[in-house]
Amino acid sequence: MTVLAWKDTLKKVKELIDKAPVGYCLDYDIPPDKAVKEALITITGKMFVAKAKISKIAPYQNEKNVIKKKKDKLKTLVMIEKIEEIQDDIVNYEEVNGGSVDKILSYVILSRKEEAKIIQREPMEEKLSNDVKAILHQVEKDGVDLPVKIAEQLAEAKKQYKIEGKDFDKLVKAAVEKYKETEVDPFEAVGIVGAQSIGEPGTQMTMRTFHFAGVAEMDVTLGLPRLIEIVDARKTPSTPSMTIYLSEKARGDEDKAVGLARSIESTTLLDIADIEVNTTESYVKILLDKQKMQERGLKREEILPRIKKIRMQKTTITEEENEIRLTLDEPSFKRIYQLYENLKTFQVKGLGGIKRAIVKFDQKAKEWVIYTQGSNLAGVLELKDVDFSRTRTNDIIEISQVLGVEAAREAIIEESTSTLHNAGLNTDIRHLMLVADMMTFSGVVEAIGRHGISGKKASVLARAAFEITSKHLLNAGLIGEVDRLNGVAENIIVGQPITLGTGAVKLAYRRED
Amino acid sequence: MAKYNILMHEMVPEHWLVSVKEEEKVLKTLGVTKGQLPKIRKSDPVIKALEKVEGEIIPGRMIEIVRKSRTRGIAKLYRTVIGE
Repeated sequence: MTVLAWKDTLKKVKELIDKAPVGYCLDYDIPPDKAVKEALITITGKMFVAKAKISKIAPYQNEKNVIKKKKDKLKTLVMIEKIEEIQDDIVNYEEVNGGSVDKILSYVILSRKEEAKIIQREPMEEKLSNDVKAILHQVEKDGVDLPVKIAEQLAEAKKQYKIEGKDFDKLVKAAVEKYKETEVDPFEAVGIVGAQSIGEPGTQMTMRTFHFAGVAEMDVTLGLPRLIEIVDARKTPSTPSMTIYLSEKARGDEDKAVGLARSIESTTLLDIADIEVNTTESYVKILLDKQKMQERGLKREEILPRIKKIRMQKTTITEEENEIRLTLDEPSFKRIYQLYENLKTFQVKGLGGIKRAIVKFDQKAKEWVIYTQGSNLAGVLELKDVDFSRTRTNDIIEISQVLGVEAAREAIIEESTSTLHNAGLNTDIRHLMLVADMMTFSGVVEAIGRHGISGKKASVLARAAFEITSKHLLNAGLIGEVDRLNGVAENIIVGQPITLGTGAVKLAYRRED
Repeated sequence: MAKYNILMHEMVPEHWLVSVKEEEKVLKTLGVTKGQLPKIRKSDPVIKALEKVEGEIIPGRMIEIVRKSRTRGIAKLYRTVIGE
């Protein structure tokens, strides 16, 4: 179902609600469309505040008993039958021809986005075999939380070597004992061990890696700079990139993959044309470059209607062969530059953020995969022909915004292991998991370091020992902070045993009464 | 909201709302208080999706997360929902 949406003022919306049913005259040139039965009104360009049932869209002819949006230059009459206040986010809608709604400046024809039905995944635990479940249940009685992996191995052994009854119980018991031995002891300094285990291979990396590598003619940051980037939780990585997998139907089809890759590559007007400003006569001239347009697979006919959508009401457009001229109706130095800036970044095609997209055949999985420079996860996941469940980006912050903290944790682990692995280093994954767990502890991705975790330690002395000593001490003094001396750094400062390992044990004496 | 079901993405582990009854039991076995658990924001996309299944989730509720673990096979942990 298609709806008409336009931008208006709060005053007019209130007036409409008061006086409906009523005719409303707009200064936009809306072509009559019988399929449109509903209208949405936005004030800020981000939320729709009113929903109206409309019966007619007609060209404006000096009508009476109607509300007018402006005093003159009215172009369209919309008959409003019923109007009510609503709260609806614009992101729930998309333009009829497939584009996304970024901001509504005049009017657009929209359709509501389809919504996926949200259902829970089948729980992994239920998929375990009965043997595994039985083992887990058996050890649970003794209060042991045995890893599923070990239980699976035990079940496997039971089958393979036909161990039964008491013998098997013995085996389980031995396994549990071994497992308990490998568990980290209470008050073990896991953080320090982790830091050293990542730090040591890190030094190797500085010395002998090339930090850039071309994966399919594309630059991807690797090595130490990438590792630092991950741990610092940068807003945008230096080389954001995506790996887009295709749906079952499309993944074997090269043409479809190439077509999709082309359609997501973002093309701004500046990529295909030269823009000139003439301030004396107050016009902007767009000189289309035929060759560049051909490279991007764009036609003149496609571009024109898109350009017409920008600030229609204030400009007159004249077209020639390869030249489009937008003249301001009222000359204004400020506005002509505003228009120029708008045009420069005006997106003719594609998804914002994706600079380049190339298609490669994955020999192993026998499918076509799209690799991109630049990233726009939310946009790509919505596309048809994309296998959304496998598609990913290397931008961790973006993942946390689109897929949540838990996915971001997963991404941190994956990215850091693969970075280390690419450099030929093997760090135990548990250290990286600890880092990822700490970084996502608060529900958002936080950096390790002054602005992140280290800067938020509970202890004043620990913070002061880390960086900017005087600032922390001064602030703590001003607000009267208390240091309970629970951590490592503060205990070293005051010369006490640290609360780790044997130092964590406190002795108490029992009085004999 | 979206054309895809975020809970099905392979990078998103299972999220389950812990019933109020069960919360105490879980906290007791872990030996911690709710405030000491890792947090998850109410505005987290997964929580928003989960609200479609479970109804509104108010801050203070607990979420059980079941991850596919590289070391353990299956790993469970809990997060407390916080505002924002």
